[in-house]
Amino acid sequence: MESQIELIYEDIRGKDKAKLIKFIGDLDATNVETVLEKICNLFNEGIYTVVADFKKLRYVNSTGLGILLHFSKSAREKGGCFKIANINENVYEIIEIIGATSLLEIYDEVDEAVAALN
Amino acid sequence: MIVDIKEVAATPEAVILQFSGELDFESIKSLVDAFKKIDTSSRKYAIAEVGKISMISSAALGEFMGFRKTLLEKDGDLVFAAMNMDIRAKFTSMGATKIFRIFNDVRSALNAFKWQQGLAPEVINLTFPANLHLVPPVRQLASRIAKQKGYGNKDSFRIETIIDEICNNAIEHGKKGEDQNISVKIDIDQKQIEFDVINTSDPEKLETLKALLKPTHEQKIHSEEKRGRGLSLIKMLSDELSVDCSEKGTVVHVKKVREVKNGISN
Repeated sequence: MESQIELIYEDIRGKDKAKLIKFIGDLDATNVETVLEKICNLFNEGIYTVVADFKKLRYVNSTGLGILLHFSKSAREKGGCFKIANINENVYEIIEIIGATSLLEIYDEVDEAVAALN
Repeated sequence: MIVDIKEVAATPEAVILQFSGELDFESIKSLVDAFKKIDTSSRKYAIAEVGKISMISSAALGEFMGFRKTLLEKDGDLVFAAMNMDIRAKFTSMGATKIFRIFNDVRSALNAFKWQQGLAPEVINLTFPANLHLVPPVRQLASRIAKQKGYGNKDSFRIETIIDEICNNAIEHGKKGEDQNISVKIDIDQKQIEFDVINTSDPEKLETLKALLKPTHEQKIHSEEKRGRGLSLIKMLSDELSVDCSEKGTVVHVKKVREVKNGISN
């Protein structure tokens, strides 16, 4: 039984090789592989520019955070980026404690993250 | 505005104020008089039952805050119960929901007070198969227990994270097999929560685990590696962490003190 997580993909206006992904649910050790597979599929399709909307991401643990760092690193290596927006206070605290705020590209709002793609 | 003051026979330190009508500017004097009638030398917990009020002014709210301050100084509180949605929306817009605790009914408010008064801590024991997929319901249960006991959202989330990380570590470094279990003991009172997570060590991973637990060990906290941050997270979120690791088993003990700021659970 995996924790519930849903990834909703949306196009970003004016950006062919980019996606907005809404994360909904909990990201933890039970579903990291599923998420990893989905994002890697996206990378395999040549989409290395991603804006992740965390407005409805309720929970993330150290394993979940590990794959977010992995996505960020992989996207950068391929000339893209993995930007995160709308993080709730509790999730942000976990990212902060881990010391990952400087490793991830974090924005308050999705619009800001999208604007930063230009 | 009408206010009836009712004593609670089974809980002599508590008092219920039943309001009806409008808590407007004109009712301030009656409100202040009602507070004056309460003997704060023997009563320290006031429940304002506001199900029958149709409006509350910011001036009235100010009086509630003042009386609450008096009760807080006596280690008590003033809370609201049976609040309708309109009043709750007004409270939210005035930022009062960050100051006052609001309960669905008087009974819940009284139960919260009894809990606060340092009744015996509650101990919950549970055992589950050492399977990663069973950790989420366990961590969510711990979080719900904390919330039910009056811990704030932030503390409850931290508790959920601590339990999650300890159990995941126990499964990763523990002995594998269908017959392997993880035992979790949760000992909670109004000031702190303590956990003991017990599992059977995997002899082959014991040395790795011991090395990880050494105070001098540096976690890969600032790296972009996928794993290896769980223990650091537990250390940062908890107030005490001890690990007793042997061939027989591993016992991880964590203490997390409840955070309270200005009388509000964090």
